[in-house]
Amino acid sequence: MPEPASGPAREPVRATSSGPGRVLIAVYGVFALSATARAGVQIATRFSEAPLAYLLSALAGVVYILATIGLAGHGPGARRLAWAAVGFEMVGVLTVGTLTVFDTADFPDDTVWSVFGRGYGFVPLVLPVLGLWWLRHTRPR
Amino acid sequence: MIGALWVVVLVALGALAVYGIALSALNRPPDVWTKRVAGAVTALLLVQAVIAAVQVFGGVTLPETSTFLIYLVVSVCVLPIATQFATAEPTRWGGAVVAVGAIATAVAVWRLDGLWAAGA
Repeated sequence: MPEPASGPAREPVRATSSGPGRVLIAVYGVFALSATARAGVQIATRFSEAPLAYLLSALAGVVYILATIGLAGHGPGARRLAWAAVGFEMVGVLTVGTLTVFDTADFPDDTVWSVFGRGYGFVPLVLPVLGLWWLRHTRPR
Repeated sequence: MIGALWVVVLVALGALAVYGIALSALNRPPDVWTKRVAGAVTALLLVQAVIAAVQVFGGVTLPETSTFLIYLVVSVCVLPIATQFATAEPTRWGGAVVAVGAIATAVAVWRLDGLWAAGA
């Protein structure tokens, strides 16, 4: 059981799953769900149309799931998982975003990270920045 | 799908999102009304999902039935989970968590109409 807040002198909680971190986890959860479900349907119904794009969708879904688990968990293991997943997400959205801006031929169908997440209001681009900042902000000192 | 109910659901989700953001902005934790309103909106979503599911399994053909049904399940499940997560830690951020759930649900409900209209 977590201790109830006892007064203003209480040490700030440094868990990633507390305070504004919960909003971040909620957004990550939504993306984990939507990216995975989307990739699942794409792969199940029309995989041959754009295998690279659909596999990329699935990879993005897995990364969002791992990031959600890492941010929602406690302890150094969960924190390492969150760093790795959010870091990979940052690299992924920048790489796929850049590739899809300059070369549309390899990506005939959209993924979450296409054109820096344009199909999702650019949230996929902002999310890893906030995630990395939050992990740094809450790091043990 | 019922057009009027779809509009009511979207308006209710929008109002809930605004209410949640307002709670966070005013530095207040989710109150009893957050749970009640979220519960009422979830009931509306459930009614819509049952009506749509009955129509789909009753013979209405859609180009992407499985996608439609996944969105239908998502539209009902996300808000209760978000509300539970928001109220588990009563801080000012709970309202924003409810708002995230409401906005995500609204996007799913919006997509439902597109998937339905494609078959009509």
